[in-house]
Amino acid sequence: MKWGTYLLGLLVLLFLGLQLAPNELPEVHIYNSGDLIQSGLVNEDVAALLKTACYDCHSNETKYPWYAKVAPSSWLVAKDVREGREALNFSRWEELDLMQQLGKLDDVAIEVDEGRMPMDIYVKMHREAKLTDAQRELIVAWAEDTMDRLVEDSEAYEEEQD
Amino acid sequence: MKKLLLIPALALTVFLFLQATSKEAIETTIIAVEFDNEIPAHVKAVIDQKCYGCHNAESKNEKGKKKLDWDDFESSRRAKQLATMAKINETLIEGEMPPAKFLESKPEGKLSPEELQTLLDWSAGKKRAPKQ
Repeated sequence: MKWGTYLLGLLVLLFLGLQLAPNELPEVHIYNSGDLIQSGLVNEDVAALLKTACYDCHSNETKYPWYAKVAPSSWLVAKDVREGREALNFSRWEELDLMQQLGKLDDVAIEVDEGRMPMDIYVKMHREAKLTDAQRELIVAWAEDTMDRLVEDSEAYEEEQD
Repeated sequence: MKKLLLIPALALTVFLFLQATSKEAIETTIIAVEFDNEIPAHVKAVIDQKCYGCHNAESKNEKGKKKLDWDDFESSRRAKQLATMAKINETLIEGEMPPAKFLESKPEGKLSPEELQTLLDWSAGKKRAPKQ
């Protein structure tokens, strides 16, 4: 009994100690002038899907859950959001050049089609982010159509210049 | 005499049909076919020598094949090609290809500065139309 109490006390101390470790959650910005959805490339249905399934990690509009403020889960959340934004940040869409946008859209289509995104661990904690097959197809079709559209626009422009 | 009339009549018919196709559509197709879909020979030479070994349809290197398959590239639609080129460009700038591990056992696989430049120039692709 005594040992059990000690052990519990030790665990509580350890847990409290963990809270002191510095951990910086990436900053949240709600208004982003270069945002993808504001760029007019996304219809309402797809925009809603991107917001619920992608934007927590792939934008500056992260909605942090309560466990993002408690170590050690906060470390994982911080890491995933940081890495997610680094790989693709929809809030900074307009900063990408045409070629980069095409590359990112192609990645979106591939990752969503093959079921690698949204990540399993994220969906476990955010049931609303779970995509049905139809929703996946909608995102993939949108990404591929948008790629074609961007190329057509730029080609039309090039012809005007000739 | 009847036969002689047939030729201008036929020409006129063809001419009328051509009016139905918009000029814009014709120009776009020509540009896409003639200039865009093929890799220039000097670029292809580098690819064949330094990339194709792992990045082909029959490759035993599953990861390499999945990431990029040159046999698939030329038959892909234009937007897909450009997307692939963008990712190639990024990979080359980061110095991630050919992989360091591969070069340990095959140092002659390294891209020369000229070869790297050739691939970078080609994969830089096109610029976006400025916003109107």
